[in-house]
Amino acid sequence: MKTIGELWEHALTSYADLPAVRWLEKKNVKERSYRELGEGIAAVRSGLAEEGFHKEHIALIGTSSVEWVTAYFAITTGDNVAVPLDAGLPAEDLIELLNRAHAKALFLSPKNKKLAEQVRVSCPEVQKIWLLTEAEDAGMETIEDVKASGAGKEKEFHAQPEDVATIIYTSGTTGKSKGVMLTQENIATNVESVQYEKEPGCVMMSVLPIHHAFCLVMDWLKGFSLGAVVCINDSYMHMVRNMGIFKPEVVLMVPMMIEMIYKRLAAADPSIPKSVLAEKVFGGNLEIIFTGGAHLDPYYIDRFAEYGVEVYEGYGMSECSPVISSNTPEHHKKGSIGKPLPNVEVRFEDGEIQVRGSSVMKGYFEMPQETEETLKDGWLHTGDKGYIDEDGFLFINGRVKNLIILSNGENISPEEIENKLALDPLVGEVVVTGENNALTARIYADQDVIKMKEISEDAVKTGLQEVLDNYNRTQPTYRQITGLVVRKNPFIRNATGKIKRTEAEIDG
Amino acid sequence: MDNALEFKKIVAQYTEIKAEDMTDDMRFREDLGFSSLDFMSLLGELEDTFDVELEQEDAVKVRTIGEAMEMLESLTEE
Repeated sequence: MKTIGELWEHALTSYADLPAVRWLEKKNVKERSYRELGEGIAAVRSGLAEEGFHKEHIALIGTSSVEWVTAYFAITTGDNVAVPLDAGLPAEDLIELLNRAHAKALFLSPKNKKLAEQVRVSCPEVQKIWLLTEAEDAGMETIEDVKASGAGKEKEFHAQPEDVATIIYTSGTTGKSKGVMLTQENIATNVESVQYEKEPGCVMMSVLPIHHAFCLVMDWLKGFSLGAVVCINDSYMHMVRNMGIFKPEVVLMVPMMIEMIYKRLAAADPSIPKSVLAEKVFGGNLEIIFTGGAHLDPYYIDRFAEYGVEVYEGYGMSECSPVISSNTPEHHKKGSIGKPLPNVEVRFEDGEIQVRGSSVMKGYFEMPQETEETLKDGWLHTGDKGYIDEDGFLFINGRVKNLIILSNGENISPEEIENKLALDPLVGEVVVTGENNALTARIYADQDVIKMKEISEDAVKTGLQEVLDNYNRTQPTYRQITGLVVRKNPFIRNATGKIKRTEAEIDG
Repeated sequence: MDNALEFKKIVAQYTEIKAEDMTDDMRFREDLGFSSLDFMSLLGELEDTFDVELEQEDAVKVRTIGEAMEMLESLTEE
């Protein structure tokens, strides 16, 4: 299969009467079958065509919901391009991304409704905004209106394998996020190449943010290709409670979630049998956790096995749709990131992992220079260093690029944050580092400002903390800075005058 | 707060600091080493243990042990 349309049609015809999605609505479990979901997708797809959207970029802002999934599949099983954005970003960033992506329409979660007015004012290319709700909402159009325009029309276009299906924004090392263009074939072949078998009807629970490639492709597209029912975790507050409600067999997680769950397991009363505790924490049916996005300490693999849960680590990046390699129930080695997928070739240049194959992106949207630097002769430069052992398992042992990878899988570009902090006159020089899974800002205050305003040492610290507090208020939790180090000396610089990031912790 | 020790014992699951050594001014992320997800999970556990419903948007603004206890107290009084 080479398109998302083919993949979805296969799921629809094979599993029509099985449940496809489950979610919670005020503590009640709701469900939609493949057939019902398919009807919604077909109506929205026709509606988009009817409204004149043909090969256009259509953005989605919201967390996982049945409406989000309906809209995504309607966009990509037709011939439009989906641009999923992080609903937690500040409004100004979302506006910038909508403009840079040339989005012509927007599906917006009711929770982000306030953004609509700003989009109308600041995004001249966006012609339509529809709320992602099936409830009637006075004053704004919703996904139901798109369905209504498509009802009975069956006006449809279908994408070709080489057409771009999705643009995913990812942190760039230059401080500007980059739009990864993934084609229909990139995504469809990634779904096919991740090999694990489950019976149709198997229960998965989706806990990751849906705008990330790992969640979008491996929970939703892979899940549907297997005939699974994908259950939506509505809040990280209730992840453990929801495991008890949905009783998943397979869950995809980032290492931070595994670490958090382990803390709860380890803190439990030792007299409680492990099987009882496993049922309480994992819901009772959990067999497999696939993890990726950041390094997982192999320690957790053994600990989780004691509770009957296998943890399989994989490796990927948005630029590769996203999976490059993965451990599986059949082939796994602790500490490795598994064997490369069958559609991926791997080579090493100066230790850097480079990959080529049908899941490697087309390029970065409207960023030819960045594309050229990352994609050379079809080889994707991952920025990670690694090796393959004698049994064919891939291992990672370092990074080439300057990105901070937190254990929740978020890639943080320190320059992006530094540029923002440096706007404050009190900040002379700043380097953001990742320490103990959180961000720390190391700042050398502007000495001219201190002298001119006669600011005391204590006041400098308070002032800089205020700068961080103001920045944090506008940011999603994972981009907030929890540590501040006030430097006594400027940073060490190299011959060309650039700050030596590797020596940022040396002060004096 | 009446349930202070019970509350601190739940917090203690996520950190190496013992319940009896916790002070009101300790910050979850900076002083107790909570990840953002640890904090969300804690909120869920507090809901289940104290039978309250937290508004996620308000609850995530809580930074210290003292603030969390105040929030709980105001909810359990209602």
